[in-house]
Amino acid sequence: MAASVPELLPYAKIREDLFRPLSSGSSRYWITVFAALAVVVLGMAAWGIQVRDGMGVTGLNRPVFWGFYIVDFVFWIGISHAGTLISAILRLTDAAWRKPVTRAAEAITVFCLMIGGMFPIIHLGRSWLFFWLIPYPNPRMLWPNFRSPLLWDLVAILTYVTGSVIYLYLPLIPDMAQLAEHNVPWRRKLYRILSLGWTGSDREWHALERAMKLMACIILAVAVSVHTVVSWDFAMSIAPMWHSTIFGPYFVSGAIFSGIAALLLVLGILRRALGLELYLTKHHFDNLSKLLLLMSLLWFYFTFAEYQTVWYGNEPSEMAVFASRIRGLYAPYFWIMVVCNFVVPFVLLGIRKLRTISTAMISSVCVIIGMWLERYIIVVPTLGNPRMNTASGVYTATWIEFAITAATFAGMIVLYLLFSKLFPIIAVWEFKPHAVEED
Amino acid sequence: MYLIADFREQPKLEAAILALKAAGITADDMDVFSEEPVELRRGILDRPSRMSLVSVLGAIATGGLATVGLYAAQQSYRLVTGGMPIFSFWGTGVISYEATMLGAVLATFGWFLWESGLLRKRDKNIPVPTVLPGVMCLRVRCFDPHVTRARQILDSAGATDIARKEVA
Repeated sequence: MAASVPELLPYAKIREDLFRPLSSGSSRYWITVFAALAVVVLGMAAWGIQVRDGMGVTGLNRPVFWGFYIVDFVFWIGISHAGTLISAILRLTDAAWRKPVTRAAEAITVFCLMIGGMFPIIHLGRSWLFFWLIPYPNPRMLWPNFRSPLLWDLVAILTYVTGSVIYLYLPLIPDMAQLAEHNVPWRRKLYRILSLGWTGSDREWHALERAMKLMACIILAVAVSVHTVVSWDFAMSIAPMWHSTIFGPYFVSGAIFSGIAALLLVLGILRRALGLELYLTKHHFDNLSKLLLLMSLLWFYFTFAEYQTVWYGNEPSEMAVFASRIRGLYAPYFWIMVVCNFVVPFVLLGIRKLRTISTAMISSVCVIIGMWLERYIIVVPTLGNPRMNTASGVYTATWIEFAITAATFAGMIVLYLLFSKLFPIIAVWEFKPHAVEED
Repeated sequence: MYLIADFREQPKLEAAILALKAAGITADDMDVFSEEPVELRRGILDRPSRMSLVSVLGAIATGGLATVGLYAAQQSYRLVTGGMPIFSFWGTGVISYEATMLGAVLATFGWFLWESGLLRKRDKNIPVPTVLPGVMCLRVRCFDPHVTRARQILDSAGATDIARKEVA
């Protein structure tokens, strides 16, 4: 691969190009922010109704007690693997092409975790009692159940959020120190506080590079454990088609898969919206497309392995769920999922001539839809077809759940747009002209 | 007193540092300022670090504390378990693991702040050079008998600009 164009650009131009989006804002940008905010407000109103009237306003009912909220929870936590995992892997392997990609990915992680972490609280019903999940000495002598995977989730996500925020913050420090030099007063003050008085001395650079390497190692271990723990929310119960030993790696690979799709989509939009065509080149999209294709194949393999063993075992309660997914009530979702997660990426990204930035974006949208459906297909049919088949039931989401789900997507857009206005979306200090590293 | 010298080429900067060390100025008295990390050759201006060790110790400490906390919490309310253990590492291992990793994350971040000097109170009299793009500034702390010699070394190593800053 030849050296990419930006490496030939003077540093002053790179800095100007990457800092410019922070100070300029088009009317289209603000219209998008306010439109997304309106959807967020609608979602918050729906949540307000749920808090006031109780969980009866949702479609949750016996036997399906987990619906959209748990689907959204697993989906967003999965997407969050975009950043930290991809960024950490590429950083540890010293892949030079990662440089314009990592910060966008790390920001996705932090925002997705913030959004995903809200769902267990929304799902609680009595959200104001969420602190009962936290183990603290209390006069009732009651402790949360430490053996419950739901408590494991809480601890795992708290660890992951903490690590991801620090992992995003550390490489931002040198850029913020530069931004503190020339800006409007309030921004100068903000960047000066956040950059902690960074001067660019070799002691600071050494400490930063060491910390980033260590954090990359730690965050990888945490990211894998987080989605494994999320999968155990299901696998630790003996419900049909949940009690599976491959659920951990199945969920982790699915999370990375959806994460790469989200990253590709975000990068494609940012490239267009912020005029970063020189920095986010076809090379980056091509590499990420290949990763997406690889994960698509891995996802298909895991899905096939999971369904094949269930079908071969022919255990009645498992087969009831299997049938509802393959040819029953949930079959349309299942087959749309297969098309979105496997057929589309396989054709568009597997055939070299078809692999362009546009097809990568189309595949990413399909994968995001497909992975949401996958979470839905995992959660709902199993609960709708419990081992005692006389207790089976159907779940239909209400507008409250749709509104809250839509609000989280809109919330993600708002958070990302605001972030891209406050901080450079590409790490400027990492993106310097270097003679030899492009390959 | 401080001398601040600008270099545009890394080999010249490295030669200057080696010559200054040979003249008796220690690595602690020298700092290189740049807009991007400068990878100096091993042995030029090494900065030993204990970050990995601190990270592991932080991990062990919080992991251990979490495990002890879990044990104590589960023993504080004696459930009737029909002979099953009240505390089981299988059941609580995930929490211990995540707490261990959280300890590693926090210890790494804390030690980064300490080792980089960002959180330590700085002497405002010490000059901090303004770094231009593509320039590496070498700041040398030296005292009167060495100043002339240090300046000569910097000059002969190829510094493009040398400034002398007095400490108030």
